[in-house]
Amino acid sequence: MNTAAPVVADWRTRAANQTRLAFGQALLELGARESRTVVVSADTQDLLGIRPYIERYRDRFIELGIAEQNAIGVAAGLATTGLRPYVCAYAPFITARSMEQVRNDVAYANQRVVIGAAASGISLGVAGGTHHALEDLALMRSLPNMTVIVPADIDEAYKATLATLDIDGPVYLRLGGRTEEPPVNDSEAPFRLGRAVKLRPGSDVAVIACGALVEMAVRASDVLKREGIGARVINMHTIKPFDRETVLEAAAETRGIVTAEEHHLTGGLGGAVAELLAVEHPTRMRMVGMPDIFAMVGPTIPLRAKYGMSAEAIADACRALALT
Amino acid sequence: MQHEIRQTLIKRLEAEARQVRRNIWRALRAGGSGHAGGSLSATDILAALYFHRMRIRPGEPNWPERDRFVLSKGHANAALGAVLAQAGFVDDAVLDRFYGFESPFGMHPDIKVAGVEMCTGALGHGLAVATGMALGARIQKLPFHTFVMLGDGELHEGSNWEAAMAASHYRLANLTAIVDHNKISQSGRVADIISVDPLADKWRAFGWEVREIDGHDMAAVVDTLDALPLHPDRPTAIVAHTVKGKGVSFAENTYLWHSNNVNDEILARALAELGVP
Repeated sequence: MNTAAPVVADWRTRAANQTRLAFGQALLELGARESRTVVVSADTQDLLGIRPYIERYRDRFIELGIAEQNAIGVAAGLATTGLRPYVCAYAPFITARSMEQVRNDVAYANQRVVIGAAASGISLGVAGGTHHALEDLALMRSLPNMTVIVPADIDEAYKATLATLDIDGPVYLRLGGRTEEPPVNDSEAPFRLGRAVKLRPGSDVAVIACGALVEMAVRASDVLKREGIGARVINMHTIKPFDRETVLEAAAETRGIVTAEEHHLTGGLGGAVAELLAVEHPTRMRMVGMPDIFAMVGPTIPLRAKYGMSAEAIADACRALALT
Repeated sequence: MQHEIRQTLIKRLEAEARQVRRNIWRALRAGGSGHAGGSLSATDILAALYFHRMRIRPGEPNWPERDRFVLSKGHANAALGAVLAQAGFVDDAVLDRFYGFESPFGMHPDIKVAGVEMCTGALGHGLAVATGMALGARIQKLPFHTFVMLGDGELHEGSNWEAAMAASHYRLANLTAIVDHNKISQSGRVADIISVDPLADKWRAFGWEVREIDGHDMAAVVDTLDALPLHPDRPTAIVAHTVKGKGVSFAENTYLWHSNNVNDEILARALAELGVP
């Protein structure tokens, strides 16, 4: 991958600690690097911050309105002609509503369509359950050919978006909403698809997290360290293809594994870890994530805490494994 | 002279269509069952597209400038397989291996097969994909035309109308939708299940240029395809009035032959009615 200076020098400022906006900034760079880039919007121009892209590359931009099924079908058609479409969309709608188009036109037909899915999880907490996406990872990772990436901060989102240049197949990029996602990764580190990042060492317990929960896992690990518990933190930014080695290594080297994600406890990151370990290395686990209910309305951060998605809940899960 | 050349063309295409129909029955016999009705209603249009109108290179199926054809009503895959074999995209012998283990042809098209442009058959997908192809041609300044064939029952799927809105919004004169209006779907007459009438008016209301034709009148089919685009700033919708199961008396105009079993006896009766190629 080309590592030249970014096209927009102040992209980090513009991304304002939101992965959805980092995606929009990265599209500007993709537009410059790859002339086959074409951006598809489902009336989501501000949601993913793509107005600067549209101004610069109007002839490689297609607005399709509030019609997600059509957006995916059109993107698949564009891809068959050799273009590289990036669909800008709401995670809850582009996955659940368009699932058949994603499955048939994109995954089964194995087209290079990248879906930038903002407002995932309960990041639009006050919007209510209709606007939450807590099953999207389960849906997307169940599809053959699909690559699934969950960036934890803007640097990871930016680099992951650029990394799609080298992925010969469909990609689901899960992005956040309007809640800030503070930096957790070394901003100089490269993004390596399918290779998890160890953010904290530790041999008592390991936390495998993705997205917004990575930052919470880091905080939990720092608290536990003061208590004498070594909690390894693994940022599992790629859900598919899955970094089996890093998970198996953590299972072998610690007393148990905690998974943490802003997703239902069925079918997401925790499910992926459990599926692997149940077969290859049965391991004690605790899973942090959304229980099997629809979330109530509320601001995102207290809502996360209410349903057990917090640094405190991660730390409690780690203690339960490390101290027994 | 011009008239004679045209008459020769029509006769050639009618002969091709007759052979397509024979090959449809042959393929369905190999599969043991399948969608005869909707394959046979689409046959004359497919013959005119593949053996006359479309700019294609069977030996170079990924030629970037080729015209695109998306069979949105993918259950008519036997018809697509027959024209792809007759055009030389795939070996003729595949028609004897329909639905076979590792066959390129199951009940529905697969993009991995030479000449197939999209995996279709789940209804309501093809028009959006074809719209994307037509937009892709425009963005890359490629001269190809995109055709998509839809079933009339398929138009129950709302996603078609999302795509219809987008295609006219972008003034895609390089896109033609052909509705195989055979009036019958899986369970009965479309008009009794959920009416799609007034069909031509619906397309007009969505901003398309519309022509209604008899989809078995080869001269009318050719005239219409040769006249494309019918409007310089609009996509074209051809509402082709057809007969489900066309060409074989026992299969015509009945939902029972939407999909049915095909044994040796039925194959023999069908081929006898179709006559020699």
